Amino acid sequence: MNITKSILQTLGKALTAITSLAQLDSLHTKYLGRNGEINALFEDMKSIPSEEKKEYGKQVNELKQSVVALLSAKRLRLIATMGDKKIDVTLPGKEFTKGSLHPVTYAIEEISGIFEKIGFIRMSYPEIDWEFFSFEALNMPPEHPARDDFETFFVKHPPHKKYGKMVLTPHTSNGQIREMMRLGKPPMRMINIGKTYRPNWDASHVPMFHQFEGLCIDTRINITHLKGTIDYFAKAYFGQDRETRLRPFHFQFTEPSFEVDITCDICKGTGYVKRSFDSFDGEHSRTAQDKSAQDDLKVKCKLCKAGWLELGGTGMIHPNVLAAGGVDSDIYTGWAFGFGIERVMMMKPNVGLNNVRVLYDGDIRVLEQF
Amino acid sequence: MTAIYEFWNNFNMNIKISYDWLLEYLDTDATPEELQKYLSLCGPSVETVEKVGKNFVFDIEVTSNRVDMASVYGIAQEAQAILPRFGKRAKLRELNPKAPKVSLNPFPLEVSTQPNLTNRVLAIVLTDVKIGESPDYIKRRLELSGMRSLNNLVDITNYVMLETGHPCHVFDYDRIPTKKMIIRESKKGEKITSLENKTYALPGGDSVIDDGNGTIIDLPGIIGTSNSIVVDSTKNILFFIENNNPVKMRHSSMSLGIRTDAASLNEKGPDPERAFTAFLRGIELFQEVAHGQVTSKYLDIYPSPRTETTIKVYLKDIHRIMGIIVDEEEIISILSHLGFKANRHENPEIAYPDGVYFDITIPTSRVDDIKIKEDIVEEIARIYGYHNLPNNISPLVFIKQPPEIEHLFAVQYKAKYFLKHIGLHECMNYSMISKNLIESMGMVLKDHLKLANTISQEIEYMRISLIPSLVKNIKENTGKRDMLRFFEIAKTYVPRKDDLPGEDYKLSIATNTDFADIKGVITSLFEDLKITDYQIIPGKDDMLAGGESAVILHNGKQVGIMGKLNAHIVQNMDLSDSVYVSEITFDFIANQYTAIGHYTEPNHYAVVKLDATIEPQGSSYKDIETTALKTSSHLQRITYIGSYQNNISLRFYFTSRKENISEEIAKKELEKILKALI
Repeated sequence: MNITKSILQTLGKALTAITSLAQLDSLHTKYLGRNGEINALFEDMKSIPSEEKKEYGKQVNELKQSVVALLSAKRLRLIATMGDKKIDVTLPGKEFTKGSLHPVTYAIEEISGIFEKIGFIRMSYPEIDWEFFSFEALNMPPEHPARDDFETFFVKHPPHKKYGKMVLTPHTSNGQIREMMRLGKPPMRMINIGKTYRPNWDASHVPMFHQFEGLCIDTRINITHLKGTIDYFAKAYFGQDRETRLRPFHFQFTEPSFEVDITCDICKGTGYVKRSFDSFDGEHSRTAQDKSAQDDLKVKCKLCKAGWLELGGTGMIHPNVLAAGGVDSDIYTGWAFGFGIERVMMMKPNVGLNNVRVLYDGDIRVLEQF
Repeated sequence: MTAIYEFWNNFNMNIKISYDWLLEYLDTDATPEELQKYLSLCGPSVETVEKVGKNFVFDIEVTSNRVDMASVYGIAQEAQAILPRFGKRAKLRELNPKAPKVSLNPFPLEVSTQPNLTNRVLAIVLTDVKIGESPDYIKRRLELSGMRSLNNLVDITNYVMLETGHPCHVFDYDRIPTKKMIIRESKKGEKITSLENKTYALPGGDSVIDDGNGTIIDLPGIIGTSNSIVVDSTKNILFFIENNNPVKMRHSSMSLGIRTDAASLNEKGPDPERAFTAFLRGIELFQEVAHGQVTSKYLDIYPSPRTETTIKVYLKDIHRIMGIIVDEEEIISILSHLGFKANRHENPEIAYPDGVYFDITIPTSRVDDIKIKEDIVEEIARIYGYHNLPNNISPLVFIKQPPEIEHLFAVQYKAKYFLKHIGLHECMNYSMISKNLIESMGMVLKDHLKLANTISQEIEYMRISLIPSLVKNIKENTGKRDMLRFFEIAKTYVPRKDDLPGEDYKLSIATNTDFADIKGVITSLFEDLKITDYQIIPGKDDMLAGGESAVILHNGKQVGIMGKLNAHIVQNMDLSDSVYVSEITFDFIANQYTAIGHYTEPNHYAVVKLDATIEPQGSSYKDIETTALKTSSHLQRITYIGSYQNNISLRFYFTSRKENISEEIAKKELEKILKALI
């Protein structure tokens, strides 16, 4: 049958010319598709005399098998060559435009998430507020040093008759009072994150920074809850291997007051690091005695105080503060803390930031790293 | 690591004291490192211990409420309460200087004061002193405490201050010829010359000592003046201690920037009773070290002596706040080690332990600090040891977060991450900006809140727009990268009459690219957040150049702007290239955000794409799009290919939801559209 031969020849030529699977798919449709050439030959069967039908059918079937075989063989060859191209895999990949978020954004996201898990809701309270909410209600009377011009920014604005002058909040603690007033009655579990301002701008201070304020008020809240919750936060944020401790401290709005320390990441809380040869101090040249003593291979850790780093301030809410927020201190107790976002972010292992000012310089070479 | 911030407001001080000096008042077997560890856990924070020869120096942070502790003796008192809890021996050697043998001669000066300036004034004249070097132990101890040794007379005052915690001063008696001292308030502008020969104009209302002729001869409690201090030829001295009004001390010291150790102590209100101990100790040393003679009575103006106070504390409150049960005996023992007297009482009508309470007597050195039951609980708990309390997570309860707050923060994060992922960089700028920046941006100064006490012109006004800061970011980064695209989401502070400012979040963007880029950023963001109900139309803004300026409308209301900064701003800000900016009310974004987009069934029929280039003749793209869609029901959408001279190339997508349409039909539809556009 000539037609068989000619179909196979044409197909053969076409197969030699093609280089892609898509082209092969078109050929497949052309020959084996519903309206393809093979089906057309089967359609022609109607016009074949009945005694020849058997032979015709056989030949078309054989043709079909040959076409299928040729196409399959070509498919295999194409797939094989496709997968075999040798390239330099060490060449850089395609570059996509890369943006960045400010490190404080990441810190706020992570911190909110840690507290959300234990039922603390994030709130947002004024960053410009009246003196009453920033000071009086927090047990800081007018003569308290925090309220003078050197420690707090005041805004030129007529004072409120009841609440006094307008200030840039020097801490997020005004959120304590505002949350107490919003809810009216405990239980309360809050994180207030906001911008805070202090008139201090030098090598290690910036006039604006962020704080997160924790607040927990309920019946039967005691020091062990404060301790446990802050320990939970420190482990979640800095790592499960870190330990915390409370030290006595003093704040106007808490009683008792504490400072929280966390074990140092560099010396693992020991206060000592191994003396390395490149940091060896020539002034104290080593004597034979020194060499023999194991202890002298250790030097004091420069980052921390005897193994501990200060995390921030906390305490049990002062009864005067509860009263200012309308909460009965005979029934309810609570704890609060105010930590610096920049500080905890910079203390996180591997962040490596040691200068708070660069966070607010807006230098693209800094920003794009995050 | 030094503290980056003072957390919450505290006004603490650090003192340096040496180990050998401490041991004079404390008999203990604790090593310096044990002292550091145990004191830090239960009392003052010992920040460092430094070995100096055979001695050690402690650097100790003393909180503002514990001025009673800011001395060698104060630390010894604390240590004797704390160390035994860790199994260490600690016995206090009382500081009880002998009273001098007093002559019957009257005190030779006339001194007057006012109750709002001093609580107590103590003074004595010592004659025939031998000025010279101090003995080695005084010199060494002062140096270890970070003080310079000057001469024995001055050194004694510093030594007494470090040992007792109360500042004191020595005058050259013969340099006060008027024999008068009037402690009064200063007038604004009065001048003093300090012992360091620096001249200061006083702010007014400061406590000063006048010699009766109007000459100021001392700034008491803060610094001595050069006209009355001891000199090499001094023979007779006046040893002088005032217990001052702490508020005045703080104010004068901070206003003048004179932060002496004496000022740091005096602004915290040291105990006037301790002033007397310091007085006796000073006299003892002046006699012993400088061979001074007491030849007259001493002066003590102390109209209202400080007295002990009493607080009633229930045992159940101690347990309630600490969260554990502490034995009564242990409570009493802790309090007595701290110098408190605790008398136990029990109301027999109330079941044990609720009826048990203590009447606790507070020593004069602590009456300013210990006022309520919580203060007593702190004393018990810290000595008991916070490290001995268990860790418990606060009991879980459900608190409903206001949905709008939850939503606001959630959408902020979605927007921030989207903008980051398409290549923008987030900035955080100070909320305060300069007058210069506001004016350069063509904004109005009086629309902004102004700080009353700024520390720099750079941060004087509260911003009402984030754009000025972002433009500054672009300017300052010019040349560092070719393409600059910044954004910021932050509160702005818009003044309101008789109220706090409105604190609304805004999203602002600034780029050095072009209009299509910044518009694309915004429309992609909206698309990502499934915000559909908005229009971007030509519109004016004071900051923007007339030709490339648009507003974003929602329900006919303006919610944002975008465009090119106008020429004035480019010139004022000295920008080297065009800057494109946008600012959008974040509430609009938060309110319009939709979590999951609306489903439309995919069209199964073929789409025919046809391109055409037309001359718009004044019509905007938006006009063309509207007309085209109105004209042909087969037109699904159009896209923009590009512009060339006056022509605009568009791609038209034709389809039907009922059947496959042929290219011929599509071409006819396109012709219809092109006709309608002419």
